[in-house]
Amino acid sequence: MNSPLKNIVESLIFVSQEPLTLERIQAVLEDVPAADIQAAVDELIADTAADGRGVQIIHVGGGWLFSTKPAFDREVRRLLQIERKNRLSSAGLETLAAIAYRQPVTQAEVSAIRGVDSTSSLKTLLEKGLIKIVGRKKAPGNPLVYRTSGEFLLYLGLNGLDELPSEEEIAKILQEDKAADA
Amino acid sequence: MPEIAPDPILAASEIPIPSAPTPEGYQVRLDVFEGPLDLLLFLIRKKKIDIHDIPIAAITRNYLEYLNRKTEINLDREAEFLFVAALLIYIKSQMLLPRETDLAEHEDPRLVLVNRLLEYQKIKAACSLLREREDIQILQWKRNFVPPLRGESELEPVELSLFDLSESFFLMMKRRSADETRTIRGRDVSVEVKMKELVGLLRERHMFDFLEYFEANASLEEALVSFFCILELVKSRVAVAVQDELFQTIRVWLRKDAHRTDHHE
Repeated sequence: MNSPLKNIVESLIFVSQEPLTLERIQAVLEDVPAADIQAAVDELIADTAADGRGVQIIHVGGGWLFSTKPAFDREVRRLLQIERKNRLSSAGLETLAAIAYRQPVTQAEVSAIRGVDSTSSLKTLLEKGLIKIVGRKKAPGNPLVYRTSGEFLLYLGLNGLDELPSEEEIAKILQEDKAADA
Repeated sequence: MPEIAPDPILAASEIPIPSAPTPEGYQVRLDVFEGPLDLLLFLIRKKKIDIHDIPIAAITRNYLEYLNRKTEINLDREAEFLFVAALLIYIKSQMLLPRETDLAEHEDPRLVLVNRLLEYQKIKAACSLLREREDIQILQWKRNFVPPLRGESELEPVELSLFDLSESFFLMMKRRSADETRTIRGRDVSVEVKMKELVGLLRERHMFDFLEYFEANASLEEALVSFFCILELVKSRVAVAVQDELFQTIRVWLRKDAHRTDHHE
């Protein structure tokens, strides 16, 4: 299919700097059925995933977005003058995971889960925009309450919190660890 | 900070010995363990202990052995490790107490610890899965992540958060503290007076440079008061603060509407 619809959808995704949702595409293309849009997007994803393209369309943060392909990371970084993309520290990732699974949470609750004071990790995550303050808890001291942000989903390539590793996946990892020990 | 600590289970057959002490506050964590729960989980795995049936005496001994090996004391980090040591000893004491009837399973004094360990273990396992995702995503550049190319294009002013504003302030404070300390001159600066001064300055100059202005301040106290004033002015929608790029200076100017209402009064 090389329909105008596919081309229109592609251009909409291209100009969008945040994940473009089906609803938003529908709002633009008023009388096009959702199924047709979905089909066009599916084709675009398949098209761009094929070799011969430097960019691809990915499904992330509940919508679609253009991204570069992993193979060209080095060249992209050279253009942007970024030596090395920093991954989160293990303390940072642990804090983020605790928040992601137990949200909404306070600093004290995160620290209790980790057994370690997490104030500075929280600060770093806030600065990176991966978590946000959503209010205060009605408890002594009215502590701030944190949640993961939309940026968090993008950062880990998730479409929603329901795509976080499930109980089963976690149990599997733990089983594998056990097996490795034996 | 290293990105990931080497897996303690694979790396060491013995309990890792703290690396050379550094003056910074992270060495406990940097010796492989994220914290006391991490250390306990490591010991439990190494000794092939069933997490639901932990021999408290043995594990406490191992745990304290590790703590004793550390040569430097860092109170903040140490406290977290000692807290768990105290918890272990408390649990042991509870188990030693003679009781008339045997405890039911849900009354096991170890339960508090076991539940915490299980929860932490889950988070850690989730971390390894999330790290895999991060490693994939980090190579795929999205347009919203791309920072502006340096030296090209005109910079669009962006709205900044309170954190950015404080960041600049602390940067300034740091620069200032690098200066030699001088005797404190007794001059009181009130927020009210300073605010008027700032508004006056804004009227006259229309706009000023955040860092430049503070560097001209005579004392730390005055700089501090100025900073509060800026926050207050932004909050009461009298002034606008704009930063072009992260870590760059912040420019402040009067809101046009604020200007107008002032004239009416």
